Amino acid sequence: MSTRVVITGLGVVSPIGIGVPQFWKAALEGRSGISAIPSFDPFPLEGYRSRIAGRIVDFSPDQYLPAGQGDRVDRYAQFALVAAKEALADADFKMDREDPHRVGVIVGAGMGGMVMGEREITQLYEQKRPHRVHPNFIPVITLNSASGIVAMAYGAKGPNLTISTACSSSAHALGQAMHAIRAGTADAVIVVGADASITPLVFAGFCSLRALSTKYNDAPEKASRPFDRGRDGFVMGEGAGALILESLAHATKRKARMYAEVAGYAATSEAHHMVIPREDGEEVATTMRLALKDAGVTPAQVDYINAHATSTTVGDAVEVKAIRLVFKSRADKLAVNATKSLVGHTLGAAGSLAGVVSALTLTSGQVHPTLNLDDPDPACALAGLSKEQQTRKAKVALINAFGFGSNNAAVVLKAITS
Amino acid sequence: MATTTDVSNQIIQALADYLKRDAASIEPTHHLREDLGLDSMAVIEMLYRIEEVFNLQIPDQDLVGLTTVGQVIDYVQGRVAPASAKTAAKPPTKTSTKTAAKAATKKPAAKPSPKSKKA
Repeated sequence: MSTRVVITGLGVVSPIGIGVPQFWKAALEGRSGISAIPSFDPFPLEGYRSRIAGRIVDFSPDQYLPAGQGDRVDRYAQFALVAAKEALADADFKMDREDPHRVGVIVGAGMGGMVMGEREITQLYEQKRPHRVHPNFIPVITLNSASGIVAMAYGAKGPNLTISTACSSSAHALGQAMHAIRAGTADAVIVVGADASITPLVFAGFCSLRALSTKYNDAPEKASRPFDRGRDGFVMGEGAGALILESLAHATKRKARMYAEVAGYAATSEAHHMVIPREDGEEVATTMRLALKDAGVTPAQVDYINAHATSTTVGDAVEVKAIRLVFKSRADKLAVNATKSLVGHTLGAAGSLAGVVSALTLTSGQVHPTLNLDDPDPACALAGLSKEQQTRKAKVALINAFGFGSNNAAVVLKAITS
Repeated sequence: MATTTDVSNQIIQALADYLKRDAASIEPTHHLREDLGLDSMAVIEMLYRIEEVFNLQIPDQDLVGLTTVGQVIDYVQGRVAPASAKTAAKPPTKTSTKTAAKAATKKPAAKPSPKSKKA
């Protein structure tokens, strides 16, 4: 029997709340975090096909962090620091009682430090003064700046890794943290997913890719509508999620409160296309099956799925097709929801937010609503999808996460049973 | 004012450049996906080139109606010279094309766009 891994702390920075209690209350109430982008000054907003996003408004790192801690890192890493701080406090995890080399940090980030990145690139090309590129430019845009700063903030000297697989980044961070603890290379891992790249260039890039919703610029809260017939692309979000993972033995020894067990994980590649999923759903189905097998559970034991569900026409339909391949008649008995309907697609943070939501769903028995499911699309209908909050005594949860680069991840959580 | 033939030639040439094949081998009846082998991402890349050539912004909602070479030609023709597409006979100039493109306000009815990304 391999080492069991449990979740003992949670943290969230999201467009519907900073802090788990605020986030979870808003999620259960079905509050939308999507709003109009006021400006990309000096770039004309009319040049952007999509003009809405899941933004965190008026975020000030000093409100949440010790003075100066977030000063020299980009916005996404500030989010990571705030979420990690909350998760460590929530877990009552004290570094001075730990062997620092046994505590790792694994961060999932898709885009990284693009706020400073875009600013410095623009200035260089406009002003043509290479000697004025900021000395902190490279440390900030290096994609492991968040995992570095989180470790430095707490003296966590164990494995320190960054996983960048686009939209599935932090689902892999969760899975790889589970593997590190199973392998015995760490007693605990601070897992974070973070991204903050609602920036003029990145946002324009997603517009050009025609991946974003463009029909609801005048009704932002209606735009993220996974599984609904009126969906027309995803809504970009920003934020961070953090989870403290520990071996069961370590958590038991320090009498930690446990939210859930991270019981299984699978990582696959469709080896198919940079941005288009295989439409038959076979590879997504295989990923789910492998994760369930790793967790030692059968499809019949699964109660709840936190779907990847980005609100794209093909993506949502492929996911449901795959769920039907795996779960067959049980597919309509599962409770399913789409966290992106609340906060948009937070890219590298999405898997970690799904992890936080799934852990809270297992402990509370509450399934947050899927917003804007006004006219369910028959191509991706599931009986357990609802725009209302549901109650479900779930014992096994499955998290799906898919990313550009033909990348798939699935993570299985189990309820803690005494 | 750009004539239908001009638009047609420019689009077929843009497609030929993109696909690295002879323009003479591309017909208006060709289906972008089935005959020319463009996936949805390739269609977006190809339209990105066409937007530059004709100084257009093509809304996502319009993509669903663009599945054959001929449909792309008709669509661009309609956007470049919405009122006088059939009667235009003047030689195309960069200025007139730009002016016409800016003046073009006709937007086909909103339809679901072919969003297919994994994201």
